[in-house]
Amino acid sequence: MPYLGSEETVKELKRALSNPNVQSDRLRYRNVILRVIRFMTQGLDMAPLFMEMVKASATVDIVQKKLVYLFMCSYATLKPDLALLAINTLLKDCADPNPMVRGLALRNMCNLRMPGVSEYIQQPILSGLRDKASYVRRAAVLGCAKMQNLQPDVEIDGAVVNELYGLLRDQDPVVMVNCLRALEEILKKEGGVVINKPIAHHLLNRMKDLDVWGQSEVLTFLLRYRPRCQSELFDILNLLDNFLGSSHSGVVAATTRLFLSLGSALPAVQSGVLERARGPLLAACNAQSRELRFVALCHVQQVLRSLPGHFGAHYKKFFCSYSEPNYIKFRKMEILVELVNDENVGTVLEELRGYCTDVSPELAQAAIFAIGRVGQTYSEKCLSILTGLLELKQEQITSAVVQTFRDLVWLCPQCSESVCASIAGCEEHIQDSEGKQALVWLLGVHGEQIPGSPYVLEEFIDALKTEQSPAVKLELLTATVRLFLSRPAETQDMLGRLLTFCIEEECDMSVRDRALFCYRLLQCGVEEAHRVLGGPKSDPSLGVIAGRPEEPINSWAGDFNTLAPVYSREDWAALTATTGGSPSLIPLVTGGAAQADLGSAEEAEAAGSAAAAAAPAAPSPPGPSEELCLVSGPPLSPELFERRWLALEPSRRVSLDWPGGDCLPETLQAALQLVNIQALALSRPHARPWKAYLYAHSLGTVVLAELLRDTDAGGLQVTLKQDPEREEALSSFLTVLKTVMQTLGNSSASLSSHD
Amino acid sequence: MIGGLFIYNHKGEVLISRVYRDDIGRNAVDAFRVNVIHARQQVRSPVTNIARTSFFHVKRSNIWLAAVTKQNVNAAMVFEFLYKMCDVMTAYFGKISEENIKNNFVLIYELLDEILDFGYPQNSETGALKTFITQQGIKSQTKEEQSQITSQVTGQIGWRREGIKYRRNELFLDVLESVNLLMSPQGSQVLSAHVSGRVVMKSYLSGMPECKFGMNDKIVIDKQGKGTADETSKSSGKQSIAIDDCTFHQCVRLSKFDSERSISFIPPDGEYELMRYRTTKDIILPFRVIPLVREVGRTKLEVKVVIKSNFKPSLLAQKIEVRIPTPLNTSGVQVICMKGKAKYKASENAIVWKIKRMAGMKESQISAEIELLPTNDKKKWARPPISMNFEVPFAPSGLKVRYLKVFEPKLNYSDHDVIKWVRYIGRSGIYETRC
Repeated sequence: MPYLGSEETVKELKRALSNPNVQSDRLRYRNVILRVIRFMTQGLDMAPLFMEMVKASATVDIVQKKLVYLFMCSYATLKPDLALLAINTLLKDCADPNPMVRGLALRNMCNLRMPGVSEYIQQPILSGLRDKASYVRRAAVLGCAKMQNLQPDVEIDGAVVNELYGLLRDQDPVVMVNCLRALEEILKKEGGVVINKPIAHHLLNRMKDLDVWGQSEVLTFLLRYRPRCQSELFDILNLLDNFLGSSHSGVVAATTRLFLSLGSALPAVQSGVLERARGPLLAACNAQSRELRFVALCHVQQVLRSLPGHFGAHYKKFFCSYSEPNYIKFRKMEILVELVNDENVGTVLEELRGYCTDVSPELAQAAIFAIGRVGQTYSEKCLSILTGLLELKQEQITSAVVQTFRDLVWLCPQCSESVCASIAGCEEHIQDSEGKQALVWLLGVHGEQIPGSPYVLEEFIDALKTEQSPAVKLELLTATVRLFLSRPAETQDMLGRLLTFCIEEECDMSVRDRALFCYRLLQCGVEEAHRVLGGPKSDPSLGVIAGRPEEPINSWAGDFNTLAPVYSREDWAALTATTGGSPSLIPLVTGGAAQADLGSAEEAEAAGSAAAAAAPAAPSPPGPSEELCLVSGPPLSPELFERRWLALEPSRRVSLDWPGGDCLPETLQAALQLVNIQALALSRPHARPWKAYLYAHSLGTVVLAELLRDTDAGGLQVTLKQDPEREEALSSFLTVLKTVMQTLGNSSASLSSHD
Repeated sequence: MIGGLFIYNHKGEVLISRVYRDDIGRNAVDAFRVNVIHARQQVRSPVTNIARTSFFHVKRSNIWLAAVTKQNVNAAMVFEFLYKMCDVMTAYFGKISEENIKNNFVLIYELLDEILDFGYPQNSETGALKTFITQQGIKSQTKEEQSQITSQVTGQIGWRREGIKYRRNELFLDVLESVNLLMSPQGSQVLSAHVSGRVVMKSYLSGMPECKFGMNDKIVIDKQGKGTADETSKSSGKQSIAIDDCTFHQCVRLSKFDSERSISFIPPDGEYELMRYRTTKDIILPFRVIPLVREVGRTKLEVKVVIKSNFKPSLLAQKIEVRIPTPLNTSGVQVICMKGKAKYKASENAIVWKIKRMAGMKESQISAEIELLPTNDKKKWARPPISMNFEVPFAPSGLKVRYLKVFEPKLNYSDHDVIKWVRYIGRSGIYETRC
């Protein structure tokens, strides 16, 4: 009943928690708290109980403490004022003689996510860093990272950073790894923790003391270190060689990745590493747990991109087992196709044929497509298998086989004869539209080789009224016209019927248009139609027969052991895309004119046309003097901007006329973006003084600008700074800026006159 | 780094939810339920990307464990972590089931608190964790216990604490193997076979003992053979096995293994997995399955399956179960078997044949007549493979423990005083024969 009557429950719990009888009985008290946590897990809002729970934190019972801390950490953001009440208890616990209590209190205090807590936790963290128990130090080190995370804008405390670097020498391995993790998060903006030579060597020496999680993470941090000379590089390789044989596949993969990166300039080292990693990788492919198997298979695929023959001798390892989940079977089939060679082709095909009759239709289809891919090299053997599958007379199988035939014929013209001989009778077993399209295409293009082709098409035409898919109709139109060109006598009548139906009765516009197009094409004469439709019947050059170019190992080595190989390419692209965009101090519309409201859209358009007129933007070469060429470049972060701004001397000060009226920040930003000027921060429209910070890339330099408007009457003060100096860029920036301001002024003036 | 950890039951109700990082919101819990647990189609991948958040999931019986992160993490590591989490939970309260999780709910939160901090794994050794998890949890601890915590977490050897004492020094060593087989029809050709084995130890030893473990590893035996006489190498050569790859618990000194191929270590206290290995050559296949399927007309199938045990007659195999799949349109089955009990289970579409015990070098047979309903479905029956389960008291890889020595220089017990128990168990992994 957790979702019903939650108010009742809360009231009841509140009563129980404040009942002195319950409070005096430790077990009963704990049980009530337990119920609170249970409801919290189920998603009920327990925030009203905060006060009572804070009171319960003052106890000697550690289990109860832990539960209450869990509760507080979940709700502290909602009730920051009440959470402050708990701070006292926590601070007291931080000084407890028992290291476990100290650690627990410190960890949870840092977990409270609310503003203002940082001033209380600073001191305990600092003393925690020097605690004699490593349990407390562990919590304190991560506490530093949590504190930074809580207030990302606050300047990094150099003393803490130094302290953490010092703690890398701590004798407790977990404290050491935690230091790395914390430094990485604190220094994120500056590129993370620095791994110099002494640190790298220290880490390498401590590797064997770490637990597997630590090892894996340290190996990833070591990616940042570049050895000075070859002998050092080989020393590192020797030192870490053992970890390729670790029992944790995560460590093995991390080691492999590090080695590949270290050997990025030494192909011999890289291939040696992959050679050594083959055994563990294969073992992981047969691991007990299917998820690990899946991950390992993904990595095998990645290795195969560069070394197609790498697992050739072990192809049997990739045979599917009946009880494996589909996601593993799909990967295994993809790998099998890659591994096919002259010796094993028979066995592999036999195996793949077994999967074609799988219970899961998706898997069966995938198996048939896999055979098709093998068929691009070994067409004869595959064709006989595929033809054999047609005899099963099953819908999905037939459809998939016909689709495979179409692709095969297109890529390997030598197959067309046997394909044409075998597809007779297929039409009875094809129900889905992809299969129909493939069949109709085959009938149209190779109609003269298939004796019954006009009659099969006729059946499709007769059933046209019930056909749902427009794609099939489109294919049917093209195919019938093609067949008409090769076998006019048998096809003429039905072509007429088809065209009449499609032009007069069809509702789908694309089909109707295609029909009209065919009709007019035929009006131009048969020769003309032949010339247009009778293109090549196959294109072997598209095939991947002679093996694709092998990608260099370095193209994927950086992604090894990340999520990139695990996700499909589309997923990965979606995940990594659109992380750019300029960060802003107040929320700005970043999408340009499209999102602005009606009035500003007009303005933006005006600005756009002005910019287009003024700046023949990107393609023009960086010409002399007056050429305007601001280009979009990498975005600057506000911090970087600030640092540069303070460091540079003003190159020029200009005063411009304020165009009049106030313009919305969105409008201004959209307009500026059109001309490749990025707005970093803008004041609100009526603020005085009104300020804006802009930047732009041009001719290899960065121009930074401040717009300042003190009073309503005054003009616009523009201060420009530049790094490195370049006169032309500066003047081009100014010209563009002036144009934008003018255009904005005009449009806003016309708007205000409307009101 | 892990942003949060959720545990759901089969209906998708949240049993445990623990969020470690700010970037994971409460809606992540629901996103996984809606997109994966309640999804119509089968699970597409154990890693799911929903709104730029990656969900890694593992299923144990009907419980879902999901780890969530927004970072580009190392997938193998996250899965290893989830398995470790399962192991730790199993060590504490047995099987991972909805009931157990609900009952041990506080314990799990306690564990989650200790194992991960801010999403980073901190401490995952069951033995070491026991110091921090206090189910009875009363604050007043003795001085001794307090100092123990300090020494535990500062000690150089992370997996063993100092000052362990036992009245009886005992060692238990289990060689647990699972043999996997994929056989072509008619039992003629082995398509693939491998043994994945584990050496699991339970040690109850005082002090800081140094252990040395030896087995009939081919490389070691050959090396020794060269040193002594030719005949020993010949006689032992047959009994030695070739290990394809092996991995060890972190306590094993890998450098020594690489140079001398000897396995020496300071053992953790209690139960742990010393080593994992895999072999693919010269595997003793404990059973052969010879199926014979005959289609009699459109409505009848005759199936005959012979199993042959292939090991020493003095040994006994146990818990034998043969699973013969039947077509979906089966209407009735008549079974005759020489030994054990066989039953047609309509819900599982299979004939399940169980034999309690079977000695080596024996043969047994089952024959069944399957009546089929006539259908107009033209779909051919896919004939899933016949699978088999069993347990045998030897190691199918041929692995033998040659010695296990214990040295503790500081305390006054020697190798002879330690009571050692060795046991071999071979189980079936995926043991399938196509028919």
